[in-house]
Amino acid sequence: MSLLELRNVAKRHSSGGRKVVVLDDASLSIDAGELVAVWGLRGSGRTTLLRLATGIDAPDRGTVCFAGRDLADHGDELLGREIGFCRKSFRTARGQTAIEEVIVGLLVKGAVPAEARVRAREALERVDGASLGARRISELDSGERTRLAIADALSLGPRLLAIDEPVAGVDLRHRDAVLLLLRSLADEGIAVLMTVGDPTGLTGADQSLTIGDGELCGSVKRELEPVADLSLRRQASG
Amino acid sequence: MGAGAERAGGQRAVAAMHSPVNWALLGLIVERPSYAYELAQRFERTYGDALSLSSVSHAYVALGTLKERGLVEELAGTRTGRQPKPHYRATVAGMEEYHAWLIGQVAEERKRQQVFLLQLTALTRDSAKAVEILDAYEGACLDENSATRIPAGEDGAPDDARVLQARLIAEEKRLAIGAKIAWARFARSEIKALSMRARPGNPSDGRAAAAGGREPDR
Repeated sequence: MSLLELRNVAKRHSSGGRKVVVLDDASLSIDAGELVAVWGLRGSGRTTLLRLATGIDAPDRGTVCFAGRDLADHGDELLGREIGFCRKSFRTARGQTAIEEVIVGLLVKGAVPAEARVRAREALERVDGASLGARRISELDSGERTRLAIADALSLGPRLLAIDEPVAGVDLRHRDAVLLLLRSLADEGIAVLMTVGDPTGLTGADQSLTIGDGELCGSVKRELEPVADLSLRRQASG
Repeated sequence: MGAGAERAGGQRAVAAMHSPVNWALLGLIVERPSYAYELAQRFERTYGDALSLSSVSHAYVALGTLKERGLVEELAGTRTGRQPKPHYRATVAGMEEYHAWLIGQVAEERKRQQVFLLQLTALTRDSAKAVEILDAYEGACLDENSATRIPAGEDGAPDDARVLQARLIAEEKRLAIGAKIAWARFARSEIKALSMRARPGNPSDGRAAAAGGREPDR
């Protein structure tokens, strides 16, 4: 059993009075320690995929299971704990500085202040962002905001980390450092699911997938069984 | 590509030099002067599987050609000792022609890719086959991309020429594969849309719109 499994998931959106197929019978499995990158054009449904995979949205059809638990029933208890979703838009009311942002997130989840401070500092150190702690969020550039978002999610000890476009707007010279950070988190055993708006962001992923026209297509780097058969499955069903 | 069409004061026309090995060897000499055996070793280290010499003597033959064309010259004072190792350096003409050839390669690469795409898109009359091939093409690109490692480095700062060279090659590869993946996705979407339109009485279900970025982010 994989850590995250999307089985025959379908999702449609209404756009301008017509139904648009975002995902149609898409399946995906992610194991602990895997880095999965999904590329698609703008509007292809990559953000929808993340929202389905983390239980923020429910599929119209199909199931999404995390460690064997259906997110339709257990999504609320898992999101923000075992499932981390990185948001890059910060509500500055939560905290003026980067470390305060992480601390408040922990306090909301029930951590005591002293523990929250330690965990926040550790999370920032983990993303090589110890120096960010005392800085105002408004002063951070795109790459630093990404690191803070990852630290924020990591502070809660997730087994799955979902991140939407971690390198969007990040300077080319710093892009690979962010990708290497996500790679290192996967190597430590966290399952990482990320979307990228530029196919160069697929480099180094264990599964490189593309999304578009309702389909999720991809390949597997390591000896893991599931997604490699997607195109075959599509052919069989078509 | 200049390769000496009007060399030596325009006295006689010299056919263009097409051998990639010759140009690669000239590039190594442009980088720094070397003798033949060392050049063969550097060639192997630098080009690996991408380009190969048939044997060490191939380097000697190529050097002869470069010398004959006035692209390299022997460095004075290096043909000494019991085992003379004459070193060769690039002439001014050699440098200029090498630079011109490099720039010309952009167009050559474009032509090669265009021929390939014409061959691939020749299948678009059979949309099912075309989509199948595009699936496989995209899959091959994704596999190659997955096999590419993210270059490590201190915020991307190269610390020497070799590291920089590796980073530039890796980045070019990522960008090229990325463009192919995006193209495959676009082509598949267009072929499907064409196929849908060709079916009488079969209204679009809205999937084709995804290719053009016309929908807002979802």
